[in-house]
Order: sequence, then C-alpha cells, then structure tokens
Amino acid sequence: MSGVNSQPAATRQNAAAHAPATANAPSGMLPLRFILTGVLALAVGMVWVAARPDVLTTYHYNQYVIALTHLFVLGWLCTVVMGAMYQLVPVALETKLHSERMAKWQFVFQVVGFAGMVWMFWIWDMKQVGHFGSALAVGVGLFVYNLARTLLRVPRWNVVATAVASGLFWLSLTILAGLSIATAKCTYESAETLAATSVLGAMIHGLRSLAMFMARFDQLGAMHAHAHLGVVGFFIMVLVGVSYKLVPMFTLSEVQSKARAACSVALLNLGLAGAGATILLRSPWKPLFALVIIAGLAVYGWELTQILRARKRRPLDWALRYFLTALALLVPVSLMGAVLSWPTLPLNATTGQLENVYGFLGLIGVSSFAILGMLYKIIPFQVWFTTYSQHIGRSRVPALADMYSARWQAAGYWLFAAGLLVTSLATFFSHAAGVRLGGLLLTLSVGTFIVNVAKILHHLVRPRITPLSLKPRPGVPTDTSPAAMSGSSSPKAENAFAV
Amino acid sequence: MRERIIELDVRDDLRRGREPFSKIMLTVAQLKAEESLRLLAPFEPKPLFAVLAQQGFSYVSKALDSGDFEVLFSRHAASLKEHAPAGRDAAQSSPPAIVELDARGLEPPQPMVKILEAVETLPIHAQLHAHTDRRPMHLYAQLEARGFTAHSEEQSDGTFITHVRRK
Repeated sequence: MSGVNSQPAATRQNAAAHAPATANAPSGMLPLRFILTGVLALAVGMVWVAARPDVLTTYHYNQYVIALTHLFVLGWLCTVVMGAMYQLVPVALETKLHSERMAKWQFVFQVVGFAGMVWMFWIWDMKQVGHFGSALAVGVGLFVYNLARTLLRVPRWNVVATAVASGLFWLSLTILAGLSIATAKCTYESAETLAATSVLGAMIHGLRSLAMFMARFDQLGAMHAHAHLGVVGFFIMVLVGVSYKLVPMFTLSEVQSKARAACSVALLNLGLAGAGATILLRSPWKPLFALVIIAGLAVYGWELTQILRARKRRPLDWALRYFLTALALLVPVSLMGAVLSWPTLPLNATTGQLENVYGFLGLIGVSSFAILGMLYKIIPFQVWFTTYSQHIGRSRVPALADMYSARWQAAGYWLFAAGLLVTSLATFFSHAAGVRLGGLLLTLSVGTFIVNVAKILHHLVRPRITPLSLKPRPGVPTDTSPAAMSGSSSPKAENAFAV
Repeated sequence: MRERIIELDVRDDLRRGREPFSKIMLTVAQLKAEESLRLLAPFEPKPLFAVLAQQGFSYVSKALDSGDFEVLFSRHAASLKEHAPAGRDAAQSSPPAIVELDARGLEPPQPMVKILEAVETLPIHAQLHAHTDRRPMHLYAQLEARGFTAHSEEQSDGTFITHVRRK
C-alpha cells in the first residue's frame, strides 16, 4: 500500500469567501507619494506656528489662520488620509481599488489645489481660492468616485465600510460647503454684461445666485459648520471606522460588539447631520446634537476599551501609544465642544481663545497625533512590502521594527505631547512666546518623525538583503526551512509524530 | 549521483513506549544533501509527513507484509519514483501531501512572511494549508508571482484557511 494523507478541513463553504489570486492593494508608491507630501505640509505648518504664534493668540477668523488651517487640513490631513485610504480600504474590506490611474490623477489635483488655496488664502484673493478650490474639488470628486466604486465591490458590508462611505459623503459635502462659502465672498460684476444664455454667462449667473443664497447665512456659522463637517465627518469618522480594523489587527484582538461599533458610527452620523445644520443656522438646538456626537464617541471609546482589554498582545508599541493618546484627547475636545455649543455663550476674548484651543486640539491633538501613530505602521509596511516582498523566504529581510529608531519614535511622542500641552495653554492665555515654544516642540517632534521616515525610505534606495544560508553546523546539511531558520522545531512539530 | 539511504527503525522504540520523534529529527538533521531516510515504524506516521515536508522532503510510504510501514523520505522527488511500489508513481498518482501552517495569533506582516517562507520549501506535489486570522490580501499577488495559486476559505470561527499549490 502506498499513500499520502489528506486532511479535509471542516470548512463553511461560502462562495463569496473565495478570493482571487490577484493584487488587491495599489502599488506601494501610490500611497507613499500622498503620505510624503502630507508630511512635508505638516512640517511647514509646524514651522509656521512657531514662526507666527499670532495665528493662535488672536481670534481665528482672519486670512492667516484660514491659510494655515487649510495647510493642515488639506495639505497634511486630507492628503495623508487619502493616500492611506487607497491602501487600507481595499485590503481592510477584502476588495480591489477601482482605479490606480484615477488615484494618480487625483494626486496632481490635490497638490495643485491645496497649495494654491493656501497661497491665495494668505494673500486673500478669494476668486483664486475658488479656482484652486475647484481644482481640488475635481481631485476629491475622483477620490470619492474611485472609493465609491471600490466600496461597491465589497463582498460583505460591515461597520468599516459604513464608516468609509459616511466619510466620503461628509467629505463631498464639506468641499461643496467650502466652495459655496468662497463663492459668497466673491463679486460678480461681469454678470451685468454677460448674457445668461452663454456658457460662461450661465456659470457666472449661477455663481452669483449661489452667493446670494449663501448671504442668508451667518458667515462665522457657515465656516464652523464647514469645519465640523470636514473634521468630524471625514477625519474622525474614518479614524473610527478604520480603527475597528487596525486596532484589533495590531493588538491581536477582535471587535467585541458589532452592534456597539455600528451604534458609534450611526450616532456620529446622526449627530453630525444635526450639528451641521444647527451650527450653520446658529440654532439653540446645537448642544443636543453636540451631545449625540459625544455619545457616539463615548460608545466608540467603550468598544475600543473592550477591544484593548481582550487583546492577546499585551505591550502597546509606540505607534499605538500615539494613536490611543490622540483618541484620549477626544475627552477634553468633546467637553470643550459641548461648552462652546451652548447657544447663549457670549463671544468674548476667553471664549474666542477657547475656540482656538478647541480647533487646535481637534486638528493637531486628535487627528494629527493619531495619524502620526498610524503612519508608523503604514509607511514601514509600504516600504518594506515594496522593497522586500519578492525576497521573503528566499533571503533574509529586515523586520518592520528594524527599519526605524524606536528611540526617535519615543522622543517624538513626548515632544508632541509636550508641544500640545504648552501650545494649548499658551493659546488659551494668548501668550505668544508660549505658543512659539509649543510650536518649536511640535516642530522638533515632526523632525524626529522625518528622521525616522528617512531611515525607512533609505531601504528603497539600499535594501538590506542577506542570503539565507546559515553557517553550517558540523554534519548538518544547509537547510533553509523556516524551522531551521528559527533554530528549532516548532512546538507543533515536536508533537506531530506522537499524534 | 545515486542517493545513499540511511535506515532508521523506530518499531522497537514505540513498542517499548519510547517517543521516537527526537531520534528521527536528529537523524534527519544529520542527513547530507544526497542522503535519504528509510523509516520503519509499526504504523504509518502521517503527522511526520507534514513536518518533514516543511524541510523539503517528499516521501513514499508502503505497508510491509508484517503490517509495519516503510517510509522513504528524500529531498529529491525524482529518486522516490524508483522506490514507489510497482505500477504506482507516488508523486503522480497519490493525492497531494498537505503541509499545515498555523499563522494565527501573529501581528501583520508575520503571517505573510511565514507563508512565503513555507512555500519556498514546499515539496513539488504538496499543498500548503495556511491558517490565518484574516484573509491574507497582500499574499495572493506574491504567490501568483512565485507560480502558485491560492484561494481562501473562511471558517466558522472567522479565521481563514488559504490553500496554496503550484500552478
């Protein structure tokens, strides 16, 4: 008799569960170009804060603050999140990116759009802001269409997909709101001479009508609604959704309650829909919807705590500490949001500075700190996968953690935390020297991040690949099996014969 | 060059209740590249097939008249044909050997690393069944480029088994 064993696994046959053997994520360089551009914008923004502390010590409704805010929001956060989503969404949702080519075109529109907008905000040329904003909107349109088509291929819809779809919706609405606000700040003298029947004339007349419609709303309310739609609707929503996939993955845990996860996303959506409208209309119902958003974040925090409690990998690495510290900052930011939503709160020097701290902590404390943490997972993997994937199993390749310095990473964490604390306090008290010091600490932190990114990128230029062959032990043939490489047989192997 | 066969008889060890695994693995570790192992056991040592497959060994197993089993392990699949029972080509006609790999409980990208390492030493006619916590999305293109096909099946506990074989 001769034979070989076969071990049929008791599997649940599921047609949708069979995945094709094709590439699912885009090439590694696509997300990297978005991410590196974003990191450059972050560095410029931090230097800007240190160089011009008045952007935080004065009320935020001025051209310089708006220019800097759009550098952080569009240049840093949006660009990085978009690049990361091109990579993460297809992998997390077990599908394939609809079009890599479309994503490459979007990159061009994104960079031209945000750079032009920041520049034009700085010199306060709103017509040109509108033009560069339109270029950016074309890019965002490509991004939303590309990811929407990708989502349509998702084999099994889940809370991550819902959060991503919600994020795309709120991003689209944010861009439309932003363009509408810019439209309202322009004048349309040529409408008097251009016939509404020509293409250009119809466009100018349409823009003038939109500007007249937008004039009904309070300008500050419209700007705050626009900001909340973008930050809560896109950044926070995507962070929440993606973390339901990434945190269990990196801590070796599971989502503990799908209902709780779904509830958090639903409350965020409901709260934001109400908050967007009530902020725009300066309605007394603002606190109610602020509380709904806070309830969504609280449910999210509850589920995240349960995920972390159930984790099998007990130590939290520095990347996760960045991320979780940022999420913890949602507590003070939520409290400030609740206070600032109070309809009878007077706008004075104190509340004005509190609004600055609220915006600063929302953008730099929560969103940026969290994204820096995630980038410590994403960038090493992208570079490692691009450089070494063909060599795995055939040569010795470095581990992800060997690609950068954990010391620089830890130093970056403490510098960032200190920078946030100093800048927030100094902003509240309108203390320019303090804001400058905080800005310097944050700049140094970003510097440590850039040093580590440079170390990681160095692998693209000079890969560290060494042959697998070990020093042969006397009498033992060269063996490249995993068991031999690890130096011992696995425990499973030890028991195999005795089964 | 003709292979030299090293014989190891563990029948007596097993009858005396002694665990022969260490003895077998020590002998395997000392095999030179051109040497094969003929193992004599009172039963067909099926779990050992997968363990040695991970080290690049193919095998031919046959029952002896005494009821015992003789298994020839070799790194060179072609040489096994000479030893296959008459009328049978083990490598061609037998169902494929299955190498089980447990890559669960690992932080990404370790599951992918373990699987790609395992396929590099996968015997010609063997299949790899890789157990993972998540669907290994980055793996498929890598396997495709290395001449393998793969498909994943979700299990009732939410984990996945990915079946990998040569095209």
